[in-house]
Amino acid sequence: MTRRLAVLAALVCVATAGSAQAQPDPLEIINKVQDLYRGDSSHGTATMEIVTEHWSREVTIESWSLGEDHSLMRILAPAKEAGSATLMADDDIWNYLPKVDRTIKLPAAMMGGSWMGSHFTNDDLIQESRLVDDYDIELTFDGERDGARVWEVTLTPKFDAAVVWGRIEYIIRQADALPASVLYYDEDGELARSMVWSEYENIGGRMMPRLMNMRPADKPEERTTFRYEEMEFDVDVDESFFSLRTLQSRR
Amino acid sequence: MTENPWPRIGWRNLARHRKRTVLTALGLAVGYFAVIFMIGWAEGLTAEMVENATGLVSGQIEIHDDEYRPERSLYDTIGGRDGTDIARLLDGIAADAGVVAAAPRVYAGGLVSSGESTSAGMLMGIDPTRERSVSRFLDELVDGEMPVSGRNEVAIGVEMARQLEVGVGDEVVIVAPGADGSMGNDLYAVAGIFRTGIVELDAAQAVLPIPDLQALITLDGGRIHEIAVATDGPWVADDTAGRLVSALAPRDLAVEVASWTELNPVILDFVVLIDSFYFLIFAIVFGIAIFGVANTMLMATYERRREIAVMLALGAKPRSIVKTVLYEAVAMSGVALVFGLAISLPLMFWWNVAPPDLSRLYGNISMNGALIRPVLRVEWNLAIWMWGAVALVATALLAALYPAARAARVPPADTLSGL
Repeated sequence: MTRRLAVLAALVCVATAGSAQAQPDPLEIINKVQDLYRGDSSHGTATMEIVTEHWSREVTIESWSLGEDHSLMRILAPAKEAGSATLMADDDIWNYLPKVDRTIKLPAAMMGGSWMGSHFTNDDLIQESRLVDDYDIELTFDGERDGARVWEVTLTPKFDAAVVWGRIEYIIRQADALPASVLYYDEDGELARSMVWSEYENIGGRMMPRLMNMRPADKPEERTTFRYEEMEFDVDVDESFFSLRTLQSRR
Repeated sequence: MTENPWPRIGWRNLARHRKRTVLTALGLAVGYFAVIFMIGWAEGLTAEMVENATGLVSGQIEIHDDEYRPERSLYDTIGGRDGTDIARLLDGIAADAGVVAAAPRVYAGGLVSSGESTSAGMLMGIDPTRERSVSRFLDELVDGEMPVSGRNEVAIGVEMARQLEVGVGDEVVIVAPGADGSMGNDLYAVAGIFRTGIVELDAAQAVLPIPDLQALITLDGGRIHEIAVATDGPWVADDTAGRLVSALAPRDLAVEVASWTELNPVILDFVVLIDSFYFLIFAIVFGIAIFGVANTMLMATYERRREIAVMLALGAKPRSIVKTVLYEAVAMSGVALVFGLAISLPLMFWWNVAPPDLSRLYGNISMNGALIRPVLRVEWNLAIWMWGAVALVATALLAALYPAARAARVPPADTLSGL
């Protein structure tokens, strides 16, 4: 009896090992995508074009990041908001308002709110780092789509995870393991918004897409396009840089 | 002997056993009072609820751009993108006979912050003078004064003040996304602190003068989201709303005029539900009384059976005996009604004019955003007093039917011979 169990266990081990070799590890794919813009540390500038039904505007941003849990973004233009800055440290977000020279810590209830009027939420700024903690990750497609070989990785929330999405689908190009698009579905399984990457170029010594285009599903004419202008990676910043003092220093 | 002696006989029979008559009449009188009081109190509660649902903050009628509800978008202002001449619009609305007052409002979502604490806030822009004639929540501030336009002042709810740990004179930062996509932000002094009694509002509402809020969210001066209208009592709101629709039609504004019955249908449903219980109250109270009265009448006719036998032996028809008993019942209900009014009038008058405070027994209750004060407030409803009187007489008559029938069948010879 014991021997039969042991043989069975060995067979199961062989089977799982075999399949793991044949298929890429979806967790690894997602981690790679997430590290793409981050590196150990980064510094760069970007422009964000926001188009809504009622107005459109362009914001220029300078950003710094360190690891998964620290980043700082400062608005350079338009003039009305120049100097406004957002600090993300661990799970908290602070906004600095130069006009009144005050810093506001964002309450948890506002995490789902829009960041700087864009179609990105405050949550997007910090949530990404915790995808692997909150979601079960599964490879759901491996093959050709629209003329390119892609992986589709589906993220479903873990049982007790406090997240807003019912499902997230990443499409990743197999050729260079760079992301192509990501679809966010709500709890009813309806598409809520979609992000598409494009203009894959060498930026700061890395091959990466320059454009990120976010569209809400219910308002197809609206979008936020995030464009990386310049990026440098592995720059000289440490944790002390990501402080309220840096946030409040006007530049 | 008169043509029709039966009513007099009925009336006189009441005096045969005065104590019994008084006790029975008192039973009916208390039943009458119970019905009047229970329905009056139920109406007091629903009136309180309706008044607070409509008068505390929102107003009996709300006028919006027809796109505004239910999303309540910042951009859907009355008159669209260009706004409208608000003063003229308000004058037009105030011209209606059912309208007591009208006040413009601007709404925006934002953050109110002080030091380490930040609250999500519903920002409400008001015209301080007009607002107080429509809603009541700013009538008596807990502390401080109404914010004055142009001085960067704000009034906040007590719960928000507690959470932000600020008092009158302290500074708060308000951040709100503007209509042009910018992030409006400015410093404000807390001028006043209000209490609505509804926790959600006390924790989230921040009130600013309209021009100040419009400046924060970069909205033009002619753009407002709502005109709140106070009508002459909640029950004329539907008719008034109907008239306002036709009065505003020529202005070509594409507005929606909604009365509270449409905005807060749950409250109306509740009122209708309570109303449907009134019949039940009548049935239960007088249902109990009917057996007491029947018992008394049965006793009264039984002890008079020799007398009745004499009347029958002298040629009175059984129908006339029935009449005397029924007349007695009517006379009894007349006495009961006098007692009932004597009990009900002073008590109902007292509880209507100066409702006793029951807050020691239970605290404030809020339901569907409507506050109910814990007071024993009763409403006058003449129809209920009338129906109560009708029910009282009907109860006495119904109770007398069986005793009357029994009395009419008294066998004269047997009864008189003592069998």
